[in-house]
Amino acid sequence: MKAMAITVRLPGALRDTVGGENKVTARGATLDEVFADIERRHPGFRERVVDDRGQLRTFVNVYIGDTDARSSGGLAAPVPSDAEVMVIPAMAGGRR
Amino acid sequence: MRDEILAHAREQGSLECCGLIAGKGGMPTRTIRCANVASTPAVRYRIDPREQLAAFRSMDAASEELVGIYHSHPASVPYPSPTDRAEAFYPDATYVLVSLRTGEPEVRAYRIAPDAPGSEKSVREIPIEG
Repeated sequence: MKAMAITVRLPGALRDTVGGENKVTARGATLDEVFADIERRHPGFRERVVDDRGQLRTFVNVYIGDTDARSSGGLAAPVPSDAEVMVIPAMAGGRR
Repeated sequence: MRDEILAHAREQGSLECCGLIAGKGGMPTRTIRCANVASTPAVRYRIDPREQLAAFRSMDAASEELVGIYHSHPASVPYPSPTDRAEAFYPDATYVLVSLRTGEPEVRAYRIAPDAPGSEKSVREIPIEG
């Protein structure tokens, strides 16, 4: 039986990291594995969302279904096989 | 829509307001107010990530897409600050800025995007009607 693919949605600037699509499919049981799978096909993706200490970047929020990945183990967060993962860049700024 | 954004900006007074503009086929259909969760909301904005997720889901359900992001500058010019440029991660969105620095509110719209992949972001004003 073919394993189910996880849909990863990438609104905003992140789509540039995967060749212009705002949605990719990937495989993996944890967020780290899902990101590694995308990185294999789209080198450079991971460093846009993960810093050099292995933490999700400040300006990125990741939801696995409705669960905030930061409250669920960060990169170790489990990803169900039929999950939709949203990697959402922050909307922020201000006068100063 | 301009009135809705202005009303939001006025209600927030000296704090920056923020929200999204949903649309279809690139044309705006509605505004979605969001909470500003920045730690210094008088000079910064950060859209509540939970509300941002809910807004994306709501736009999906209505077959809409994100067309813009708005915020106010209560006491400064309606032009993207260095912070606005550094923290602009939506190259396809129209960034709408409201300034309440004078009695007459000013509303401007911009595209904030790199000219080429990987290059510095530049700011381009977009004319708005009404």
